[in-house]
Amino acid sequence: MNGWMGKIVEIDLSSMKQETVPISAEIRRQYLGGRGLGVKLYTELCHAQTDPFAADNALIFMTGPLTGTVMTSGRYQVVSRSPLTGTICDSSSGGSFGAVLKSAGLDGLVIQGRADHPVYLYVHDGEIEVRDASALWGLNTQQTQKAIQAETTAKTSVACIGPAGENRVIFAAIMNDKDRAAGRGGMGAVMGSKNLKAIAASGSQPVAISDPEGYKALNARIDRIVDKNPVTGKSLQVLGTSVLVNIINAHGMFPTENFRRGVFNDAEGTSGEKIAETLLQHQSACFKCPIGCGRTTKTKNKQGEGPEYETVWAFGAHLGVSDLTAITEANYACNELGLDTITMGSTIGCAMELCETGAWKENMHWGDAGKLLGWVEDTAYQRGIGVELALGSKRLAAKYGRPELAMQVKGMEIPAYDPRGAQGMALSYATSNRGGCHMRAYMISPEILGHPVFLDRFSTAGKAEIVALFQDISALVDSTVLCRFLQFAMGISTFTDMLRVVTGLDFNDDELMKIGRRVYTLERIFNNRAGFGRRDDTLPPRVLREEFQTGSSRHRVVRLEEMLDRYYAVRGWDKDGVPLPQTLAELGL
Amino acid sequence: MAGKIAIKFYGLMRRQVQTRAVEIETDEMSVLELLFLAEQKTGQNFLAELLDPEKKLLTGTMILVNGENIRLMQNLETRARGGDTIDLFAPAGGG
Repeated sequence: MNGWMGKIVEIDLSSMKQETVPISAEIRRQYLGGRGLGVKLYTELCHAQTDPFAADNALIFMTGPLTGTVMTSGRYQVVSRSPLTGTICDSSSGGSFGAVLKSAGLDGLVIQGRADHPVYLYVHDGEIEVRDASALWGLNTQQTQKAIQAETTAKTSVACIGPAGENRVIFAAIMNDKDRAAGRGGMGAVMGSKNLKAIAASGSQPVAISDPEGYKALNARIDRIVDKNPVTGKSLQVLGTSVLVNIINAHGMFPTENFRRGVFNDAEGTSGEKIAETLLQHQSACFKCPIGCGRTTKTKNKQGEGPEYETVWAFGAHLGVSDLTAITEANYACNELGLDTITMGSTIGCAMELCETGAWKENMHWGDAGKLLGWVEDTAYQRGIGVELALGSKRLAAKYGRPELAMQVKGMEIPAYDPRGAQGMALSYATSNRGGCHMRAYMISPEILGHPVFLDRFSTAGKAEIVALFQDISALVDSTVLCRFLQFAMGISTFTDMLRVVTGLDFNDDELMKIGRRVYTLERIFNNRAGFGRRDDTLPPRVLREEFQTGSSRHRVVRLEEMLDRYYAVRGWDKDGVPLPQTLAELGL
Repeated sequence: MAGKIAIKFYGLMRRQVQTRAVEIETDEMSVLELLFLAEQKTGQNFLAELLDPEKKLLTGTMILVNGENIRLMQNLETRARGGDTIDLFAPAGGG
């Protein structure tokens, strides 16, 4: 078999039984791998009312047919039902873990049950060894990775949880290859609920390539494309993702103090330019990645990875904090403890506003950089004030009677682009299958950055069509599994070429787009069954009703209703957001 | 009314020009004219990062006048007045 290793193993941690999951050639072609095949397997194994922390909830680690082959192919996807949102969720991470898992002989791992004591899985030579992790329980993610490498090999790649996952914080991350994160949606908490501390992999099995000569030529071509593109070949390399701080702030849509303003006066001091001048040691790159958007940084006290754009915002402007060192060290702490930085920062911002309004009698104030580390640590260990912060913003704000102060969609906190400044991004947040996420359809690309074409950010015309298209492309790329930053440099046909050369199957662009649409629709069906519908495809009241008074996004609100019906029609869903029978038939669902 | 127009450089532009901003005193001028003046003032040929040889905006170039992209106005013929701010960004991305 070319592209795929041809082996997915299901392991039940309650009984310790293992069996190979049969995947037909047809299913493989319809879902590819990664997010697509992960969602397909999940929806067959679990029903929509499955408690995310129940033993019978499945946690699925998946690679794709391109994993371990072309550039940026070290990634993997984790699929389960999210304890944060209750939706189906996939979380993606870079590094090399995906490629190494494949070189250990597996396309994916389906984990069910719950171990009666802490364990970790060691995958090598196509076999899975269950090892005792009692001594690792309580270690942070860095210590865990080092300890497992000491027990196995120095080249072992480890995906693990930290104390936050062990303590089932509903936005706990899975960390791999030091500081790479499957951050969003609380997949680390699901892992913790299974008493699964880590999955480690090592191996040397190559991925079989259908057309080696074509593969060589294709690699040379995509090297040139990525190098020539000013975003992938220059900007991301030199300034990382935080180059966006000044750009988004200049557009008046850099959410400040829990989305009350769109301009942060201290943005410059937390920008990618500032990081490059002060904390940056060197850029860092994932497996076979020529871009290297990662930032290895150093403060007076510590060295680590980050902050990326979203984290700069979540611990910075969102909290009224301009101390770049405090932001960076809060990021390091999240990496070590295994927490999603976006939900962590956003929840602190929500808490600060709850305190300011008097709804919550706690001592949390805008700009309080000195307390960030303590709040992060308390959350991971669910102690003191952290017990409350570990609820995430939706539950916290509801508990104190001000649900509208949580800046979330379906329970997931929206990130660093205020939707009042970009109507398409607003629709993307509202209709995202995993909640308030920017990665389902990154409309900032056309609406702000001008890739691949420039669109009027304040217009709603045509946005439904483009959001649906972007959602489908993202679902496709997440199923191959490659880095989404490649989309700045290449269109769908290049992904088609990659799949054809690697797998030998005669894919075409239309078929790939249909795969993306199938995956997105299947996720929606699951969410419908879990109780999500039109009323959940919405946004925080603040962005629907309140206008900014300053900045270039002033006097705007999100005009969601202008786009939602059209979006459902484009998708082939009814007015309640439920896929129509003919849509299901077209997609083979 | 005469006044100063601030032209601010960010990201890769700033690294190339080695300055954060220049000011140009004028009543009113097109963005293209202002960019030519800014090149003279900085002594740096930065326009190649923003425009193609035919002086058309490159894909991804962001030139904002008071926070709004000139592509939503009259492109390089957009008029700026004293007191306005122009932000210059070379193509960039992130997530």
